[in-house]
Amino acid sequence: MSIAVDQAPRRARLALRFGAFPVMTAGLVLAMLYSISAGRFEVPMARIVEILWARVWDFSGSPETMDERIVELVRLPRVLLAALSGAALAVGGAALQGVFRNPLVSPQVLGISQGGAFGGAMAILLGFHGVVLLGMSFVFGLAALVLVGLLARINGRTEILTVILAGMVVGAFFAALVSVLQFLADPNSSLPAIVYWLMGSFSTATWARLGLALPGMVLGLGIVWLLRYRLNLLALEETEARSLGVNPDRERWFIFIAATMMTGTSVAVAGVIGWIGLVVPHAARLIVGEDHRRLIPASALLGAAYLVLIDTLARTLTASEIPLSVLTALIGAPVFAVLLRQHFKRAWQS
Amino acid sequence: MRLPLLVCAILVAQPLAADPIRFTDHEDREVTLPAPAQRIASIPIPMASTLIAIDGATDRLVGMNPTAKSAIMEGILGRIFPQAREIPSDITAPNFIPNVEELASVSPDLVIQWAGRGPDYIDPITNAGLTLMTIRYGSEVLTREYMTMAASAMGRPERIAPLIEWRAQVQADMEARTAGLADEDRPSVLYLLRAMDSLRASGTEDNYNAWYHYLAGGRNAAEDMVGGWADINVEQVAAWNPDVIFLNSFEADLTLDRILNDPILSLTNAAQSGRVYKMPLGGYRWDPPNQESPLTWMWTANLLHPDLFDYDLRAEMRTAYQVLYGHELTDADIDEILWMDMQGGQANYAQFAAP
Repeated sequence: MSIAVDQAPRRARLALRFGAFPVMTAGLVLAMLYSISAGRFEVPMARIVEILWARVWDFSGSPETMDERIVELVRLPRVLLAALSGAALAVGGAALQGVFRNPLVSPQVLGISQGGAFGGAMAILLGFHGVVLLGMSFVFGLAALVLVGLLARINGRTEILTVILAGMVVGAFFAALVSVLQFLADPNSSLPAIVYWLMGSFSTATWARLGLALPGMVLGLGIVWLLRYRLNLLALEETEARSLGVNPDRERWFIFIAATMMTGTSVAVAGVIGWIGLVVPHAARLIVGEDHRRLIPASALLGAAYLVLIDTLARTLTASEIPLSVLTALIGAPVFAVLLRQHFKRAWQS
Repeated sequence: MRLPLLVCAILVAQPLAADPIRFTDHEDREVTLPAPAQRIASIPIPMASTLIAIDGATDRLVGMNPTAKSAIMEGILGRIFPQAREIPSDITAPNFIPNVEELASVSPDLVIQWAGRGPDYIDPITNAGLTLMTIRYGSEVLTREYMTMAASAMGRPERIAPLIEWRAQVQADMEARTAGLADEDRPSVLYLLRAMDSLRASGTEDNYNAWYHYLAGGRNAAEDMVGGWADINVEQVAAWNPDVIFLNSFEADLTLDRILNDPILSLTNAAQSGRVYKMPLGGYRWDPPNQESPLTWMWTANLLHPDLFDYDLRAEMRTAYQVLYGHELTDADIDEILWMDMQGGQANYAQFAAP
């Protein structure tokens, strides 16, 4: 927790004065509207409004024409799923950063994403989809996190550096297991499915898939939201937190499970989308400061808008779909590099 | 356009044992064999069934890709040549990285490998002292070249000439009939190499499928796409609105329902007019270039342009299978290869039904 603690209250005041939350909410709504209007199939904006308006008044009918189906069955669930996943990944990252008191951790750095990817890839290899794939992503994501926890705990203390190194080790291990599965997979059937899914995409989003993602993500978001006060305490030194009546170990685990639930679900429905959990909370911190009561909802709003825009680029730039990870990494990796430098500069100076 | 039955007569003629065999492969490597190769291991997938076709037998194939073997056992070739079940398929991983120990253990006098994939695919074979021939995938010209190379290596040059001649004749006949077609008279064709989960379409650049769709009087619906293959979404398919959709034969569980039950894809011209078809699975999968390619072209042409083409596909298949594999196709065999049960009711498909 070293990012400009002294400046945080001033920033928070500024943010509140300018109404950061209404602006972010409006930004998210605009991003979603823009995304619904954009696509390879030409549907005029007026027609989109007409279609959505008609649906609001008559919820019972089913879309008949191509443009109705494109808007209602392809774009709408896709935009909503991207928004929900963006919020979940960003909040998962923000929560983990709070627990570890370090802005450099994320589901990917801790190996959760790779664990989830292994679980999902195994499900595809065995011919499972839907709930089983989701369950296996979650279980192996959690397994990765537990492994990192065990590896990083030395003499009862958990140093941030050991956590990140342990995360790298566990992540590399699960990445190797994914390679083993790819090696074993049938190149005519399961291998392309696994490769495509791993690169991350919302191209197969449907209402059914949104329904599948909803429980895990909403539950995860809810848990972190309820624990937002506790996150501020967990961010304190261990002894301080205990003296304030917090049981850090138990509450940490709640956060871990919530973050894994969100990461595992997003991996299951859209593959591995990296960097969101790292970049978005950082941006949110710059706007609303360190206080988790504001940081959590700000991360959710920004994450949702960010992933909706990234996904819109992915599906409209060219005739072929661009994998999401490619775009998020192109933006995320440089931001992470800057964060890392700032972090260690400050660490050396203090 | 029948493949001359004459070839069958030549088939029984003994190859002449004479001078060493010399030819240049697709990496400009000089391949020298002291005598016709008797034990051949093939790492590229479609080559295994091509070797069987050139030789009319499986005896000289001593190792192949596991994926090639599954195509053979899944399709009719496994029934024509049940002994193919015994041919080892652990000489390579499905990804074409050779397993040198297994490869050496079947002591091949010729190993066939893909060209242009770098030393990891090549060096293990040459370092083990095995004779290597590389082939390059992608176009009709390359296909004819590597089929000819394989026939030379097997000491069966007499066998390949009629097969090449057949390809050239069918191609010339089609080109003559589609030469005057204006662009608007060419139905737009979408070929989906993958369709079970994501959709993968064929671009036009160096793409064999796009090439024979044009040959048969179609045009690629995805012609504005960059590269040979790309993953696309349903919205893009709606925007292209293809007149005809061909589904691959690689995905065993893929049926027409994938398109016909999809809320978006079922509204395309192709689905609305009943012009969605799955590529047949014959001696090899009909989608990529192989020994049966002219049959693929004729099937495609009859479907794209019933006004221009009326090949008697069933008769053509009977002749070709007799020449290629020495096998007498039954009506049931043909129905199975063409998926008559699944797509007999699609537009223009009744022409392929047994009389």
